Parts: sequence; structure tokens; C-alpha cells
Amino acid sequence: MSGTVARGLLRRLLYALIAIVGVAALVFALLRVVPGNPVATLLGEQADNETVERISSSLGLDQPVLTQFANYMLGVLRGDFGESFMLGKPVAELIGPAFVNTLWLALAASLFSWVVGIACGLIAATHKSTIIDRLFMGFSLLGVSLPVFMVAMLLQYVFARYLHWLPVTGVSDWTGYILPAVALGWGLAGSIARLVRSSVIEVMQQDYIDTAIAKGRTNVQVLVFHALRNAMLPIITLMAMQFSSLLSGAFITETIFSINGIGRLSVQAIAGRDIPLLQGTTLLCTFVIVMGNLVADLLYSVCDPRVRKGA
Amino acid sequence: MIHNTLEVSNLNTSFFTEQGEVKVLRDVSIVVGEGQVVGIVGESGCGKSMLARSIMGLVRKPGKITSGSILLDGKELTTLSKKELCAIRGKEMSMVFQEPMTSLNPTMRIGKQVQEVIAIHDDLGKQEARLRALEILSTVGIPEVEARYNAYPHELSGGMRQRVMIAMAMVLHPRLLIADEPTTALDATVETQIIDLLKRLTNVGTSVLIISHNLGVIAQVADFLYVLYAGRVVEWADVYELFDNPLHPYTQGLLDAVSSLRSQSKSLKTIRGTVPNLAEPYEGCSFTPRCDKCALWCATKAPELAIVSPNHEVSCHMVERDDDL
Amino acid sequence: MAEDERELVASSNANERSSSLLRRLSKDHKLSVASLVVILLFALAAVFAPVLTPYDYDAISLSDRLAPPSFEHLLGTDEGGRDVLTRLLYGSRVSLMVGIVPTMLSMVVGTLVGMTSGFFGGKVDTVVMRVADIVMSFPSMLLAMVVMYTLGGGTANVFLTMVCVGWAGVARVVRAETLRLKQNEYIEAARIVGVRRLRIMLRHILPNCLPTIVVLFTLEIPSSILTESSLSFLGMGVQPPSASWGLMVSTGREFLYHAPWLCFVPCVAIMIIVLAFNYLGDGLRDVLDPHLRGR
Repeated sequence: MSGTVARGLLRRLLYALIAIVGVAALVFALLRVVPGNPVATLLGEQADNETVERISSSLGLDQPVLTQFANYMLGVLRGDFGESFMLGKPVAELIGPAFVNTLWLALAASLFSWVVGIACGLIAATHKSTIIDRLFMGFSLLGVSLPVFMVAMLLQYVFARYLHWLPVTGVSDWTGYILPAVALGWGLAGSIARLVRSSVIEVMQQDYIDTAIAKGRTNVQVLVFHALRNAMLPIITLMAMQFSSLLSGAFITETIFSINGIGRLSVQAIAGRDIPLLQGTTLLCTFVIVMGNLVADLLYSVCDPRVRKGA
Repeated sequence: MIHNTLEVSNLNTSFFTEQGEVKVLRDVSIVVGEGQVVGIVGESGCGKSMLARSIMGLVRKPGKITSGSILLDGKELTTLSKKELCAIRGKEMSMVFQEPMTSLNPTMRIGKQVQEVIAIHDDLGKQEARLRALEILSTVGIPEVEARYNAYPHELSGGMRQRVMIAMAMVLHPRLLIADEPTTALDATVETQIIDLLKRLTNVGTSVLIISHNLGVIAQVADFLYVLYAGRVVEWADVYELFDNPLHPYTQGLLDAVSSLRSQSKSLKTIRGTVPNLAEPYEGCSFTPRCDKCALWCATKAPELAIVSPNHEVSCHMVERDDDL
Repeated sequence: MAEDERELVASSNANERSSSLLRRLSKDHKLSVASLVVILLFALAAVFAPVLTPYDYDAISLSDRLAPPSFEHLLGTDEGGRDVLTRLLYGSRVSLMVGIVPTMLSMVVGTLVGMTSGFFGGKVDTVVMRVADIVMSFPSMLLAMVVMYTLGGGTANVFLTMVCVGWAGVARVVRAETLRLKQNEYIEAARIVGVRRLRIMLRHILPNCLPTIVVLFTLEIPSSILTESSLSFLGMGVQPPSASWGLMVSTGREFLYHAPWLCFVPCVAIMIIVLAFNYLGDGLRDVLDPHLRGR
């Protein structure tokens, strides 16, 4: 790795770190801005002020915000994310397994969207301006326009009521991931298909395609050996970003399909005013997204030789 | 009887757009003899590139060759199947394009791009193919071939990129090499080197069809020159004959413009007017609006190519009239 | 394609350029025009909701609950006996407002920031873009939820959240356009002649950015509508008894098997409006600004 590249990488990592800490701080601050003492809310109206104060101080809620934040971040570095108000367990214990579930879901949905998206995009691009093109693009647009909860509920409805082939809630085994993956992946596939189509069409207009044909390549060969490697560049970035966005929580899908993932956990944390849990999930999600963007950037540099040598 | 590498007869190519049919090539006939260098000149928009692309079969929708014949070493190209055409392209006829930066795949190393031509047509092993590619790259004048072999196009200069293009076109020793404005995108100093390189191709038995709007460049290498205007051949001749005795007003205008650059005269000679819009059909000679020597009937009837002397044909009513007198 | 080919096809289609936007749109993108009509219909329905239905959107009538579609209630009634069609019409107000207003605000803020940052460059530019990067790396839905939690539910807060998260993407795109336009020689010429920088920005750069901004706007609206419905679906957006399509879907979910129309009618409504904006945006983009192709 040349010096410039290494420096660029370091710079990006630094910014990533700043982003993560920044968001964590923001969330931290926001949560403490809420009027009313969360402990009081939790304990209900019966609790007297003394008890509330006692518990508050034991949780460190009476200290200045900056100190709290510093303590929190230090704790994080040690792996201690605090304890959940609602469930009494260490947050780390809760978000761990939840993240794993979300990871499987993200992988399944991504795979589905990549395969379907790329296939549709390629077919549309190679049959440009024909009925097939319009059909596939119409489908893609539909995919992008349908709200996730609609697809999810439709699938649930159909499979619960009529076709009893797949489980509609929970993930007791791998089949439980299928419907949620489709619900999630459907919209993503639409985006990918559109981008693949426009990218391939644009690449096919380039001069080096003519050169390839002049060398004696057939149309299929041109597509595979020349067009795709150039067309895929922006798509890879999109795919990486979509994946990291999936990892940071498919709130709706997880809620509808009752999957115990990060998204659902976050929603529950908000509903239950569970600050430590919420902080934990937010921190994790931000980390994932920032890292995901970083990886997407890096991937692009790796794949496009023009970008590789500069920062 | 000289064997002809390329014989184009009455080629017509049109584009079918929303405004109707745009005829970009009208009854164009060209001959490239074995081992010859033939030049095609004309302003931008006269159809020169279209001619090259028609021969290679690179005309894309909504364009199409509507009629005519293209014979490469006696083989008719217009009726070939796609597969057969692919077998010929790169091997028996090849093309060098105008913009070397955009004509090379930016994500593929140049050595590999040259090797690819071999891989498509020959069954050579990888090692052998690589050696051949190195050899041809060195022949075209790429210094430090071993080091440069794995470079990407954007790491090379314009002149080097064009050399790579020429290497790709030459590696399988084609019968015909078409060079479409090969030096237009290059500096003047590099230009001469590339032109020299092209000229040397005939030493290995390749015939060259070189297209340019730059008369000076072409004159240095070509044996014969065809002058194209608005999709038609208006004059063609042996290069010396053309420079000594240009007969078509357009050719005269072109030559005047070039020589006025060199002379001491204070003003540059130009040909007034602009290239016609090919979408509008025109009954008479297309050059009429810009011609100083035309007569009334030039606007009503298009002239035919007529032999003026051996290796010299012109398509102009006024020239014919002179002959008649 | 060779330069010649491109020029040829372009010049023979060049006559088109002089016609008005609408005519150009309607020529090749009939679907976009149809979408525009659909959007206008929805807008009209939203504005004239009280006139169009005899019912109140929050008129509870327990005796009529969960009635299937009939003559009296064209789309049935919900769990409180409220007419679904009425709630749908009132809900369209929310969805359209939330779709359009915050997006417009994001556009304004984003354009201001992006254009200024791109035009002046330097340290300010770097800092602003870093901030934008950070904002863009927020898990936006999550942050929206956190903000909603902090501020409480309600329409105004949804607006605020969406603007806070949305401006960054716009700023990036506008900045890129500004940088591209800045390279044009006429800008430099204007500077040399002494035209004030503010004037250059307003007179030269902004008008040329407009097509991009308009297309971006049309394409961001469906995203905003979806975000709002998702938030309302999760209970963090518009609160009952207000009607919002997302909320209707969420409450209707309980009765998915007995009264599926409760859930699917608002879903379909969302789908139609989002589709309409997407088609419109696509058409506008094709006609106005090929640079955004692929978004």
C-alpha cells in the first residue's frame, strides 16, 4: 500500500471514529433532555422521592452530563454498555444475540436482493426499449414504491391464511428467515435493478465497447468481459451501503415477523423508555453504518484502478 | 492485375431517426489495393467515420447499411452472419479509433487487452500469447514493455495509448487496418511518430485505410486519396495527382486552406458556409451552396463520378463541361 | 457510439428542445403525466376532504364497527366505527403534507448549505461536508425515533426530524453541481468583470442547479412519505385520533384476518402515491437532467 493510500485510509478511519462518537454524544444528550426522570416513570406513581433519588444516583443520573458521557464511553471500551432498565440484564447480553439475528436476516435479504436485482437489471438493459425492459423496470419501480410493511403483511397474510408453506413469525429455523428476507429484499432489489440497468446502458455506450467488438468479441462476451466490470462499480457501493443499512435494523420487518433483532429491540427500548438499551443499540447501529460506508468507499477504490492510486 | 484487399461498391448507409431517414453514405465506392495506404478526407460530418464503421460492421441502431457491397479479399462482408463477422474482426481486419483514452477499457491492464485479441482468435497458450503481446507492444514503440505491460490505460500518455491501440490492431497481422482519425487527439510531435508507424505497417503486408480531416497528415502517408463530402465521394486520385491537379471545387478549397497556412498571405482561405444537414434530401450537388464555380443546373441534378485520367475521378458538372469543350 | 453518430441522432432530435416541459414530458413519458394527474387528484381530495364525505374522521360509532365495504361506507368502517374512506381522505392531508413540506425545507436548507459550501470552498467547505457526512451516516430511522421519543409524537416533530436528517443528502448533490458549474468559463468571466459573488450564485449557479434540485425533490418525496408512514406505523409519528395512513395500517393490523381492508386500503393508497411520485420524478429526470440518472 502506498503512502498516500495508507494516509487516506487513516484519515477516513479518523472521521469514522468522530462520526460514531458524535452520534453517540448526540443521542446521549437527547435522551437526557427528556422532561421527567425516567426512573420515576419506571417505578410508577407509588414510588416516593427518596427511592427515586436513591436509584437515580446509583445509576449515575445525577452527575453532570459530560461526566456521565465520559463514564459511558469508557465503559463501552471495556465492553460494558450499562444495564437495561426494563429487563435488568446487561445491555451487552441483550444486543449480542439480537445482532446475530439481524445479521442473518441482513444476509438473507441481501442475497435475495442481489440475485434478483442484478438479474432483472441485466435483462432490462440487454432488452432496452422493448416490452421486456418496461416490464422489468415497472416491477423494479413497484419494488421501490411498496412500503416494507405492506409487503411484509401481504406475505404474512397469504402464507398464514392460504399457503401454509412457511412460518410467518419467529425464526426457529432457517425457513423463518425466508419471508422477512423477501419483504426486506424486494425493495432493495428494485433499487439495484434500476441502477444496474442504467449503469450497463451507460457503459455500453462507451467507446471501449466498440473496441471490444472490433477485436471480434460477440455481444455476450462484450457484456461479460468488458461491460460488467465497469458497470458494477457504482453498484457495489450501493450494495455495501444497503447491507450496512440492513444491519442497523429492519425495524418494521422485525416487528411484523416478531424477530428478535436489533431493530425490534430498539423499538421496544423506545417504547419502554429504556435509556441504556437504546444507547446501546444506537451506538451499535451507528458503528455499523459508519463502518459500512467506509467499506463501501474502500471497495470502490479497490475495484476502480483510476481511484486506487490517488486518495 | 493488382489484387485488392478492400473493395467497397455503392455503399449506402442511413440512420432512421424520428425526422426520417438520414443518408450518411450515398453510393460510396472505395478500393484499397494490396499493400496500399488509402486516405479518406473531408470535414466533420461528411461520413468518414460512418464509412469505417460500416466496413467493420459497427454501425449501431438506428443506423443500418441499406445497400451496397463490401469485399474483403474477395469475401462479401454484408451478408455474413454475426458469428462469421466476429471471426474476421480483429484478425483479418481491425480498427484503430480516434480517442485512445476512451477506447481502452479503463479497468483492464493494457497487456491483457492486447493479449485478449490473441485469445479470441488463436489457440496459443497463455505464455506464448503473452510473449507475442510483449513483442508487438515493443514493435510499436512502447519503451520498457515488461514494466508497462501491467499498467492501466490512465497511467499512459496519449501517444502511448494510441500505440497500444495500434498494437491491438496489428498483433494478428490483419489484411486491412482502418485508422479513424488516429492522430486527432494527439500532440503534433506525437502525431508524426504515429503516422510513421502506420506507414511502416505496409511493410508487413497490411493495407491501411486512414481517415482524417487533416490533409497534411494524410498526404504524408497515403498512396491514394478519396475526398468525401456530404456522404459522397466527390473526387479521388493518386495523391500526387490530387495535390497537383485538384479538380473538384471542394478539394481545391481544402488545399487552398492548407496552403494559405504556410504562405505569406495575410488572411486564411476558408470555404464559406457549413456542412449541409444530411436529414434534408437534396436533389442536386450537395456542394452547391458553398461553391464559387457552380452553374444553375448544379442545384437540380447530382453529378456522377467520371474518369478524368487514369487514377483520377471527379464528380462535378463543371469539370465534365470542361471536358466536353 | 462514435461522436458523429451521437451528434447525428441528437441533432435530428434537437428540435424537441424548444418545446415546453409539459409537452416534452407528455411525448415520451405518458406515465409521468398520468402520475402528475393522480397526484393532483390526491391533492384535491385532501383539500376538499370535508366536502367529499358526510362523515367526520373521528366520529366514533361503536355499533357500526368493522363493517365491510358497502353503499353507506364505501370502504367500510374501522374498529371505532369510523368511516375508512373519510379517514383515508383526511390521512392524505397528513401524508402529502409530510411528504412535501419537510422535503421542501430540506431542499431549501440543503441547497443553501451545498451551494455556499461548494462556491466558497476552502476550510468552510471541508468542515461543512464533514458535518454532512456525519449526518448522512446516522441510522436515520433510528435517529428519527430517538428524536420523536425526546420530543414526543406529533406532526410538527416529525417534520423537524425529517428536515434535520434530510438536508445532508441534498447539500451533497447541490455542492457537486455547484463545483461542476463553477468550472465553467462564464463564471470566471463574471468574477473577473467584477460581478459580486452573491449575484453570481443567484443569477448563474442557482438557475442551472434548478433542474437537479427539482428532480431530487420529486424523488425524495416518496422517501419522506414512506418514512412518515413507517414512523406512524411504529407508533412514533402522528398520534391518534389524527388520521395518517401509516397509523391506519398499524391499527388495522390487529384485524388483519377479520377485516383485511382496514389494513390494505391505506397500504394501497400509500403505494399509489409513492409510485406516482416516483414515475413523475423519473420522467422529469429523463427530460431535465441526465446527470442524476441511476439514482
